[in-house]
Parts: sequence; structure tokens; C-alpha cells
Amino acid sequence: MNFQIPIGPQHPALKEPIGLRIVVDGEIIRDADIRLGYNHRGIEKLAESKTWIQNIYLMERICGICSHSHTTCYVQGVEKLMEIQPPKRGLYIRTLVAELERIHSHLLWLGVAGHEAGFDSFFMYVWRDREIVMDILETISGNRVHYAINTIGGVRRDLDELQVKHILDSLEILRKRSEYYKNLGTTEPSFVARLAGVGYLSQEDAIALCAVGPTLRASGVPSDVRKDDPYAVYDEVPFEVCTADTCDVLGRTVVRIKEVLQSYNIIEFLLKNLPAGPIAVRAPRRAKPNEVVSRYEAPRGENIHYIKSNGTEKPERVKVRAPTLGNYAATIKMLKNGFIADVPLIFAAIDPCICCAERAVAIVDSRSGEEKIVPQSSLKKITRNTTANQERKREVEWPW
Amino acid sequence: MNDQVLIEKLKEGLKEKVLSISNPAPRRIFLKVAVENLLEAVRQLKEEQGFTHLSTISGVDLGKSFEILYHFANNFCSFTLRTEIPRENPLLPSICALIPGAILYEREIQDMFGIKVENIPDSRPLLLPDDWPAGNYPLRKDWKFERPAEVIPGGKK
Repeated sequence: MNFQIPIGPQHPALKEPIGLRIVVDGEIIRDADIRLGYNHRGIEKLAESKTWIQNIYLMERICGICSHSHTTCYVQGVEKLMEIQPPKRGLYIRTLVAELERIHSHLLWLGVAGHEAGFDSFFMYVWRDREIVMDILETISGNRVHYAINTIGGVRRDLDELQVKHILDSLEILRKRSEYYKNLGTTEPSFVARLAGVGYLSQEDAIALCAVGPTLRASGVPSDVRKDDPYAVYDEVPFEVCTADTCDVLGRTVVRIKEVLQSYNIIEFLLKNLPAGPIAVRAPRRAKPNEVVSRYEAPRGENIHYIKSNGTEKPERVKVRAPTLGNYAATIKMLKNGFIADVPLIFAAIDPCICCAERAVAIVDSRSGEEKIVPQSSLKKITRNTTANQERKREVEWPW
Repeated sequence: MNDQVLIEKLKEGLKEKVLSISNPAPRRIFLKVAVENLLEAVRQLKEEQGFTHLSTISGVDLGKSFEILYHFANNFCSFTLRTEIPRENPLLPSICALIPGAILYEREIQDMFGIKVENIPDSRPLLLPDDWPAGNYPLRKDWKFERPAEVIPGGKK
């Protein structure tokens, strides 16, 4: 019997568009192909025509969730080109915002994962808790999404005693609520069973396909730019690199929960050891001809900027590689030999953050070659039905 | 292993193939090789020095030539391997056989600079739309964006 499924005018997992072409044999995916670029904004080209300062705000707008990642990566590269060293307090505040962003991004992802697995109460709990982080970010920077806290040579806003107290108090609430995520494995066996074994990516494949971030760490590779190539103040902050060895979506979930808990500790350390002093130094308008490779551990993985200056007010070249692009090759591998119903889960598990892609996903039947476009809601229904009829893997262990 | 040890090992392994090597900051090494020695350099980096992770491939338009930078990373160093190819004949060997994860970056380089990557497993355009006019390579310095005149379908002539 020929069976065709398409996925509607949006991304199968998130609200951003990407083109996925999946070849199926019955319910099983035999091949997958990704088509990008329908919303490519030409930011690298645009950056060449803007000044160093203007580019901070351009970089911020690469992504709405990891906006601080791109500015920090850019700004710390430009600081090296201009040969200035931001003051300690500025770096502490920069790192603080980075960790808060990691928490909000991971909580957002956990909610989405819960939703895709049909566990909507988890989605609501997590997103309720995420509001606390968003409030902290708003207190610090005045903005919920584009914090605009970075500038070349430091940060733009200082912290006062009241804000520090507010953050520490909120952190206590978050810690208390996070106990539930930690005990998810023992309290919600059906959720664990849904995630276990889905989207398998072996350690060898993860390395060969140059996967990054939690996707790589969930395949048992302890690689984290914060540890390997410390930037800002990560060489002073104690934290652990979180890994899992299950190589599936369950592992990616556990890695993110562990990282959130690590981030609470990092934030507490940063606030208790916040040095006094200025928050920024004055930056020159021009940078001498030079080049720099700047790396940053964004919530989704390694973010890398290559910046080349030519002695003027504008960069010669800014190359940006966001972590999601690094994970696509691995995603294709994960999708192969999986089930159609797992597509949203697998795709959500790399936490794709794309503002560049095609609109529809077409599923081609490998036996008939026919294809058809179906709405996203149908695909979700299939996902849920699979969960409903699945035999519960009660013996699955929470890989904590 | 620190940066100096790695530099010595690479000099030993690649000998006269090293055109230049620099270490401008801790954990940052830049090595330049000729394009015909690129695959050998990548092989040594991967198999002998353990650089299995390719972060990305950057291209820079230098005017008469293109500079291609391969950004590798491992647990202690970020390594940039660079090569230069002439603008008239932009040919680059594919490193996908050694580093399978390079495929998307090579396709991106093809789209954006009009560089022909030889032996690439999949040479379709990645980012540019299907109806993109041939011979337009956005990241070349001589390419300027001009907004096309707006045409309203069925509108007045």
C-alpha cells in the first residue's frame, strides 16, 4: 500500500520554516534531505557595510532566542581585534546574562519536547518557570528578548544590590521547581518511554558529522567550548560538562536538565563574587588589519565567528556559523531508519533555531514516488497516536 | 598538549608544505598550505593530531584570489587551516571523504563564492533559491545588491 504524508506550511516541530524531504518505506524513513535558505537574510554581506558598533545590533538580530550568544561571540572577537580588555565586572555581567539565556533557552526547549511528546502539562510547568528567568533578564537589561547588554569593551548596564537580591531570590524558586525536572524519570515513565531510543546518533557518527552542543554531549562526547576554550570568565567559574551516553532524545533531555542545574550554580557563583569597578572601557572606532576566530558555547552548541578587519570602521568579513547549521548533517543521520511519527521529536531535539528555510515538508513514498503535502496538525496526530499505542518501555532507566 | 608542541609536530609532519604558521593568541593556530596539499594537511590534522571537529569553512574575497579557511577544533585548541585559490579558476578539493560533516559548509561556499568544489558528494545549491540568476555570487566583493523593481501581478503597465 502506498502511503504518503506531507507536513504543512510550517516546520514539523517548531514555528520556524525549513524544508525537509523524507523518503519513506511504509512507516520507516529511508532517506531525508534538508533544504535551507528561503529566508536567508544576507547578514554576512550586510555586516560588511556597517560599522563595528552597528554590527552588534545586527548580530543580536540573527536569532531571537540566543541573541546574547551572537553578540558576545562578535564582541569578544572585535575586542581582540581592537586590543582592548573589558573590565572584570563587565565580563561577569556578560557571563551572567549568557547563563540566564542558557536557562531560558533550555527551559523553552524542555517545554517544546514535552509538547511534542504529548506531555502538555510538563510544557506548561516549564514555561511557567521560564517566565521567572525572563523577568530576571528584563530587570537586568530592560528587554525580554534582545537584551542589547553587550558593547565593544564591556556591557551597557550595571547591576545594583536590589537586582542581585532579586536574582538570588528568584533563583531559589527556580531551584525548588527544578527538583521536578530532575525527578521526571522516576515520576513520569511514559514520557521517558516516549523519548528512549528515538533519534539514535552513535558517538562515532556524532564526531564524524561534526555535531555540536547538547546533541554531541548526549552522544557521550564531553565537548563544551566553555571548558575547552574558556572565554569571558569561565576559567574562574567552577562547573561541570554534562554528558549522557544514551545517544537518543532522552539523553539530550537529560543533558539539558543537567545544564540548567549547572547554570543555577554558575549564576550564584557569579553574583556572590561580583567584583566592583567599571563595567566597560572605551573602544576605538577602527581596528587594525587583523583576523580573529571567536568561539562561544551557545545554548544549542558551539557558535563560531570569523572576523577580519582592514583598518577601517567596517569589518572586511564577518563569517557566522550558528550551532543549528552544525547539527543538520547529524539530524539527517538521526532521521534515517526512524519512524515518521518521530520526526517532530528528533527535529525538536537539536533545538533548531532557523530563520532561513523553505516552507513545506514533502514525504515521498520510496515505492511509488508519489508525494503530497499534509498539514502539521496531521503529523502531530500521528505522533500522539504512536505514543498512545506504544508498548510502555517501563524498564527504561533515567540516565541521570 | 600545548600550542607549541602542536606547531612543532605539524612542521615535522608537513615539512616544506607549511607556507606559514602562526600562533597569535593562546589556543589559536593559523596554518597556511597550498591548495594541492590541502587534503594531506586535513588528513594529518585529523588522523595524527585528533582534530575531528570541523567548526565551519569561511571564505574571504581577497580581490585576485579567494582565501578559504577551515576552522577545526578539539578539546584544547581552535585550529585554522587556510589556503588560497585563484579567482579565475576557483577549484577546491572536497574534504568530505575525511570529514563527512563538511558537506553543508562546502555547499555554502559554492553558493556564496562560486567556487567549484571537486568530488563533492552533493553539489546542489544550499542557500540560494532555485531561480537565482546564474553567475551571481553574493559574498564576492564586486557583487552589489540591487533591489529589483517591484512588479504587481496584473497591475497597470
